[in-house]
Amino acid sequence: MKKLFKIDVWAWFWGILALLYFFLPMYGTLDFSLRMQKGQISFLAYQTVLADPQFMESFRYSVIMGLISVSLSVILFVPTVYWIYLKLPNLRPVMEAITLLPFIIPVIVYVFGLIRTFSGPPFELTLTPFKTDILITAGYIVLSMPFMFRAIDVGMRAIDVRTLTEAAQSLGSNWFQVLFDVIFPNLRVAILSGALISFALVMGELILGDFLVRPALGPYMVLVGRDHAYEPAALAIISYALTWVCLGLIMYFSRGKNTQQLTGR
Amino acid sequence: MSFLKLTNVYKLFTEIPAVEDFNLEAEQGEFISFLGPSGCGKTTTLRMVAGFEMPSSGQITISGKDLTYVPPNKRNVGMVFQSYALFPNMTVAENIGYGLKASGKPKAEIKQRVEEMLELIHLGNLGARFPSQLSGGQQQRVALARALAIRPQVLLLDEPLSALDAKIRVELRQEIRRIQQQLGITTIYVTHDQEEALSLSDRVVVMSQGRIEQVGTPAEIYTTPSTEFVARFVGQINLLPIHVVDQPAGLVKVGQQPVRTSRSVNYSDEKALRLAIRPEELNPGHREDANNLTGVVETVTYLGSIVRIRVLIEGNSVLMDLFNERRLRLPAVGESFELNFDTDACWLL
Ligand SMILES: Nc1ncnc2c1ncn2[C@@H]1O[C@H](COP(=O)(O)OP(=O)(O)OP(=O)(O)O)[C@@H](O)[C@H]1O
Ligand SMILES: [Mg+2]
Repeated sequence: MKKLFKIDVWAWFWGILALLYFFLPMYGTLDFSLRMQKGQISFLAYQTVLADPQFMESFRYSVIMGLISVSLSVILFVPTVYWIYLKLPNLRPVMEAITLLPFIIPVIVYVFGLIRTFSGPPFELTLTPFKTDILITAGYIVLSMPFMFRAIDVGMRAIDVRTLTEAAQSLGSNWFQVLFDVIFPNLRVAILSGALISFALVMGELILGDFLVRPALGPYMVLVGRDHAYEPAALAIISYALTWVCLGLIMYFSRGKNTQQLTGR
Repeated sequence: MSFLKLTNVYKLFTEIPAVEDFNLEAEQGEFISFLGPSGCGKTTTLRMVAGFEMPSSGQITISGKDLTYVPPNKRNVGMVFQSYALFPNMTVAENIGYGLKASGKPKAEIKQRVEEMLELIHLGNLGARFPSQLSGGQQQRVALARALAIRPQVLLLDEPLSALDAKIRVELRQEIRRIQQQLGITTIYVTHDQEEALSLSDRVVVMSQGRIEQVGTPAEIYTTPSTEFVARFVGQINLLPIHVVDQPAGLVKVGQQPVRTSRSVNYSDEKALRLAIRPEELNPGHREDANNLTGVVETVTYLGSIVRIRVLIEGNSVLMDLFNERRLRLPAVGESFELNFDTDACWLL
């Protein structure tokens, strides 16, 4: 009885310590971001940020690029991972290693590689903004690879891909129907969590946008951080909020009857 | 002409053929079981009929149409898997209707067929549930209904009951047989459980190492197994070394004790002949008009409804099964023991 009580106290102690460690700086930032007007609490910093046309533009740009690259990455990865599970299970470890490369190679090295390879002929992908956007989208897809692959991999593991495929086929489905009726719906949670993490990653990405000179949110935040005091704090809070919305969505979608269904082998 | 026909089907994965020299003809509405030990090629053969594997050579026809290289989704063959393989994202009703939906049938027709099928499997009120909310037995019923909803030409089942516990297994196998007979659908049922094969089938195909050992009705398979493998695999069998005394008369000797068989001794092959007899054909005691053998009791094992007695006869352990009746007087271990059997209960292998 006494021992139990003791554990309880320590658990609380460490728990509260962790919360303080996590939330105190954030509270500091929040507090600071509200004090742009001397002597009173106001949302002036937020108003300034939101009123800045450059912010709106870079935000819009990053959202659009995020949506495009995440969609492409889903379309690319789900069928690929599916095929590997179905036909080439021996290649799964190879695939896993390849998708880890963005963690191993520094982004800055990767960007220089991209620029050196694709800015000259025959690609010349840095000549116009549109072409650069193609390059940057491809770059975002590569950077989100580790998250996307892992999320889909976990989802595939939870269902018996091969038998479900065969069941659908014997009922008359073609490959397209198997993919859209059976595989995608059963991977919904996995795809969503991979997609939201990748989206958050694109929203905060700094180096690609900077070196390829595109108006992304990451470089904008750095810029603001250099020249202003209160606005960066407001921006930080905004991007925190964005990340949390993403996380909240992941948790929301992976709860309830969907998780229960996933176990139905 | 037979409905489902496999001709010289052969399948090689790596070095050893998984299926060899496989010839089978099934009539419309027939229930055929593939029975054999693990790895003998039952699943591979079934998957070739389903179209998930292509034979390395040979031909598969259904209703006269060559399907050997037709993809699975164009075969109209229903398949039930050991692991149920219901679609977790769909309700029971959606699962059952999926095949019809995939082939673009109108909604009303799908709805009606689904209801029909739910009725057939006695799960009329569970259409809105998800597979994860059903028991294993219920899930397998739904899988059966899903396979049957497309009105397949042939129904294939790969060990559909082996993930279920014993009671449900017996219940569901009778259910499968009832539905099969009601619909008159040609069925291939893969199992390594001899009781399942014998109790369900019109004919049993016993397989070993990729080859057919014997094809026959359950009674033929059990009472006149054509090879030692079949005799050993289906039921229990005693095999006693003999030497022949009088070939035309079918008189042989087990050690020093004479045995008369009703079938004359065939010398066609070189290998040593043995006397084959099932444990349940043996009776305790001496009988004048039958074969009698004497030995010493080795063990007495209680198995519930039967008692299995092992008797050492001329250096061979012989199993004898007796019904566990109250009036049964069990012999003691080490006791001298005489048993008898009819001349036509035994044969030479
Ligand atoms: N995809 C494959 N690649 C290589 N060999 C295979 C493959 N599938 C089956 N085999 C081999 O073919 C042989 C027959 O396998 P099969 O699965 O048909 O046996 P089975 O009779 O169904 O056995 P079980 O009762 O264990 O299910 C086995 O030796 C197996 O190792
Ligand atoms: Mg098998």
